[in-house]
Amino acid sequence: MSERNGRADDAVVRMTGITITFPGVKALDGVDLVLRPGEVHALMGENGAGKSTLIKALTGVYRVDSGGITVAGQELRFDDPSQAQAAGISTVYQEVNLCANLTVAENVMLGHEVRRGPFVDWRATRREARRFLDRLNLAIDPRSQLSSHSIAVQQLCAIARALVVDAKVLILDEPTSSLDKAEVAELFRVIRTLRDEGVAILFVSHFLEQVYALSDRMTVLRNGRFVGEFRTDELPRRELIAHMIGRSGEALAGIEEQARTAVTVHSPRETPLLTGVGLGKDGSVEPFDLDLYPGEIVGFAGLLGSGRTEAARLLTGADRPDHGTVSWQGRPTRLSTPLAALRRGIALSTEDRKKEGIIGDLTVRENIALALQASRGAWRRIPKRELDEIVQKYMVALNINPPNPNALIRNLSGGNQQKVLLARWLATSPRLLVLDEPTRGIDIGAKTEIQRLVTELAADGMSVVFISSELEEVLRISQRVVVMRDRQKIAEITNDETVTSETVLETIASSGESAA
Amino acid sequence: MSTGQLVPTAPPGASPRTPVARARGLVGSFDRRFLPVLGTLLTLALMLGVGQSRYSTDRADFVSMKLLSNLLVDNSYLLVLAIGMTFVILTGGIDLSVGAVVALVGLVSAKLFTAGLPLPAVLVVGVLIGTTCGLLIGVMVQAFDIQPFIASLAVMFLARGLANVVSTNSLAIDDPGFSALAAWSLKFGEGRGLWRINASMLIALGVLLVAVYVLHYTRFGRTVYGIGAGDRGAAVTLMGLRPARTRVWVYVISGTCAGIAGILFALYTKSGFNLTGIGMELDAIAAVVIGGTLLSGGVGFVLGTGAGVLVYGLIQVLIAREGLDSWWTRVFIGGVLLAFVVLQRLITVRRR
Amino acid sequence: MSTTTTPGRRPGALLREVTQHGLVWPALALVLLLLACGAKSPGFLDVALRDGHLYGQLVDLFRNSATPLLLALGMCLVIATGGIDLSVGAVMAMSLAVSLTYLDGAADPSSPLTVATALVLGLGLGVLAGAFNGVMVAGLGIQPFIATMILMVAGRGIAMLITEGQITTVTSPPFKSLGSGFVLGIPTPVVIAAAVFVLVVLAVRRTALGMFLEAIGTNGEASRLAGVKASSTTWTVYVIAGVLAGLAGIVYGAPTMAADANNIGLLKELDAIMVVVLGGTRLDGGRFHLGGLVVGALLLSALERAVIIFELPSQTTPLFKAVVLIAVCVAASPSLRSRLRTPRPPARSAARPAEVAA
Repeated sequence: MSERNGRADDAVVRMTGITITFPGVKALDGVDLVLRPGEVHALMGENGAGKSTLIKALTGVYRVDSGGITVAGQELRFDDPSQAQAAGISTVYQEVNLCANLTVAENVMLGHEVRRGPFVDWRATRREARRFLDRLNLAIDPRSQLSSHSIAVQQLCAIARALVVDAKVLILDEPTSSLDKAEVAELFRVIRTLRDEGVAILFVSHFLEQVYALSDRMTVLRNGRFVGEFRTDELPRRELIAHMIGRSGEALAGIEEQARTAVTVHSPRETPLLTGVGLGKDGSVEPFDLDLYPGEIVGFAGLLGSGRTEAARLLTGADRPDHGTVSWQGRPTRLSTPLAALRRGIALSTEDRKKEGIIGDLTVRENIALALQASRGAWRRIPKRELDEIVQKYMVALNINPPNPNALIRNLSGGNQQKVLLARWLATSPRLLVLDEPTRGIDIGAKTEIQRLVTELAADGMSVVFISSELEEVLRISQRVVVMRDRQKIAEITNDETVTSETVLETIASSGESAA
Repeated sequence: MSTGQLVPTAPPGASPRTPVARARGLVGSFDRRFLPVLGTLLTLALMLGVGQSRYSTDRADFVSMKLLSNLLVDNSYLLVLAIGMTFVILTGGIDLSVGAVVALVGLVSAKLFTAGLPLPAVLVVGVLIGTTCGLLIGVMVQAFDIQPFIASLAVMFLARGLANVVSTNSLAIDDPGFSALAAWSLKFGEGRGLWRINASMLIALGVLLVAVYVLHYTRFGRTVYGIGAGDRGAAVTLMGLRPARTRVWVYVISGTCAGIAGILFALYTKSGFNLTGIGMELDAIAAVVIGGTLLSGGVGFVLGTGAGVLVYGLIQVLIAREGLDSWWTRVFIGGVLLAFVVLQRLITVRRR
Repeated sequence: MSTTTTPGRRPGALLREVTQHGLVWPALALVLLLLACGAKSPGFLDVALRDGHLYGQLVDLFRNSATPLLLALGMCLVIATGGIDLSVGAVMAMSLAVSLTYLDGAADPSSPLTVATALVLGLGLGVLAGAFNGVMVAGLGIQPFIATMILMVAGRGIAMLITEGQITTVTSPPFKSLGSGFVLGIPTPVVIAAAVFVLVVLAVRRTALGMFLEAIGTNGEASRLAGVKASSTTWTVYVIAGVLAGLAGIVYGAPTMAADANNIGLLKELDAIMVVVLGGTRLDGGRFHLGGLVVGALLLSALERAVIIFELPSQTTPLFKAVVLIAVCVAASPSLRSRLRTPRPPARSAARPAEVAA
């Protein structure tokens, strides 16, 4: 099944039998990876499969316990990232790892500044930076501060930096997770150019379409083990997924079918649970109207930066609106803080799990208890037995792994952290649950579980707002779809059989023309 | 394309930048990063203005070379301390040990002179004591992952304790060479307008020049700023640099500056005393903050620190001229600090 | 406090767990120090009952631990939220200055009402100072270090203004007994510190306040979004630190009855921070251990006492403080631990274990 390339000299990087052990965990167990010049190679696997660990082994962040790394035929051992870079391996990380407080030129050229005698020649350094930025068609002022640019531009700056160090291998770890469509296209153009110049590219992404659009070959990992290396055009999607989750393709089809059939329930129209009239915040989202009913799932569709997250934050007290009013069960109300919203039964699970979700130093148990406890105030502590029951209930219901409520949440995988956050909000028995990207960056198994859970909750009468970058996912589970574009609500569609992702995309595109 | 060491061969026309665009770029970058320092300079101007209008006489202006010279003479040790502190704060760290190091260096120097060591040897040993203290902090911070606050606190206790062991009395320094060095000065002008340049001033200004060079014209300097970008220097590590060594170095620099400041303070007082420098680290930190450097690291200029020290010294001069009791100085410095911190906060909020 | 030992684990694992607990090294140091003192000065560990009052070196040790414990209690809560309070030493000076200046001006400094008013005034100033710090940190979002440094710098000047530059001395036996008296045979400062300690432990651990503080210190924004009143909780904690600093100032200054604005509480903020760190709480916020504060405070006083017992010049105390602080921090250093534990750790300490699971 797995096709291995036998010749040694055509590979830039050859990792064989890589094993890395952390206290108590074997993170990687005998993994192989071969990167060839002029090819885009995708590294696939669920969360916890070992992709990040493998990348960190290749970039010298982690030391390998056993196994060999050869770069251009030479056996190498990396003790820190600078050695990997010296060997021509550059990495662009998911969260851009540049210095936001420095200028673009300083970031691109850091460690490679042009010097004249003992002095850094800033003029020449900026000129050099300009040259590398030009190669990426990036027309920004090298003197501008990095933090003044969008994430997409910052990411391109990180790639420009890879050019400076004359990378033979470029690793892109989830580079598209916070980019919109146009930005992704621009990034792909750059990647293809570099590939054609002979750079070996290792690409990690959760978006299967992007992987299929871009990669020539892929290596699949599962549970820290090597599953196989495949040519992209010879591996159908269903088979890839089966390899990733370790189930046969038919079983997967069953799960998807189940999720799809569970949504046909429609809510009766009654008094809205929450009504927003003319809600807006300057510089964040234009005023919009919205009614949310019990027992209904409303999907928010739109690209990143379309204002969908900002709208959700106004509905849940995370941000205070500058305009408009909110009514709760027909009565006007003010949601001035998250706590005020929480007390009415409104819960927001945020997009940024790490920064705005988990409390890393606290246990799973405490993380689940936090919102419920906050709604009761500091002085009325939840009795131990009650909390034990709640924690036990959700750990079982959501299949949280490891099943130890006293584990620190930061030691859990992304998918399990997400489940703990869901448990946190469900424990407050919300009437309205707003989920911002609840399935981003988590594996397919957990994703399906969450989707199914959401449909069940709505069937039990909860009102759910479901925000996701994956249009298919939104369409699969929601009864109504709010379409956002350029910080405006541009349409509200009832999701029946006629609605497909194409029609929604058309809506986004057409109103773009009318607005212009 | 390799490492950028070569002089670039791109034709001059390759850059599409017109002078107008360049000027706009300059204004753009000015706005963002120089704003806190601009605040410092405005405060300085304001204080000079107040002084000029209140204390000028027919015979002498308040604002004069004499004022500047006096400020530098009285605060040269503080300037050197604050420069070292700037390096540390730019990486997001802190060094609480410097005041105690000043006391230790002063006392050890006094002791060494009585032991009959020659002047150059004493000066070198004095500075090296500071360097060692800094190295100790750096190793604790880097190798043992101890927070800079605690590591430098430990070294502060260490230095203070050692100073107490050396002597609990004030030791006068009467080495002729040292006295000559302390007394040496170039005189300019005459009468009431007489002003001087002395050795402390020259040393402090020399340290300032070196600091400007290191921070703004070397890769080391960029790494210092990069570490201050946050996440304990993770970004810089992943960019393939080695922040570990740089982080140790900034504490060595700060310690060395404390050593130099110890010598300067001994020159100023011609003695060593174990109780000198209590709270001096706070003066240095305050001067750095007033000079526009953010305590969270990554943002600031060493020249701003220079201006901060001048503001600091000027407060004392104004309080003295006003005839207020000396404790007013602390209240005023607290007030200026408050104003600056709130101002910086407003700027950073506006920026986002 | 957070460590739970499961029965049935291998002794090696248990030993490792025990040595990993932040409190092991300071406790060990304390016991060794006390034993050494006992060996050097045979009467050290004796406690005598005279006139119904407890006397002895050990009693003095507890008495001396009261002030650092009071300060450290407030400091620990502040540190849990990811902050720091540098102003407590200056607040001590200000509170004492206010109390004594009021007593000085009162007609009868010994009347209980006057003393009570003086006490309330002193504590009230602590509240005021804490409220100012809290507004700066929680309201304006200024870094705690610099926000509290403002009062640290200005506070002593303000104390001087209150006493008009004099060292105010008063005679008021009831007030003095706050620092040097006895309650049921136990020194008053010890009783006060113990009562406050129990109160704080109950307020923090019997309610959800402790969890909220740890949540705020670990991830403030996530806590806010989870409904925790992050800014008002943070503010409260600074007020508590302010009150406790005021109380500490009064207890510390009462025996001498002299408001010396320059020297009361000088560098005490550093002692308090040291006690917190010795007690096994990390400076960067999150998890905190109140029980450790008692050990830390006792260790600090024992150190000061030991210097005297071993007939060393008392000025060398900072030297030993430094040695203990360095030793305890290095022993508890996670990087040292991981280096000893696993033969092959991740190459860089910058890569935290948190990233392993990703």
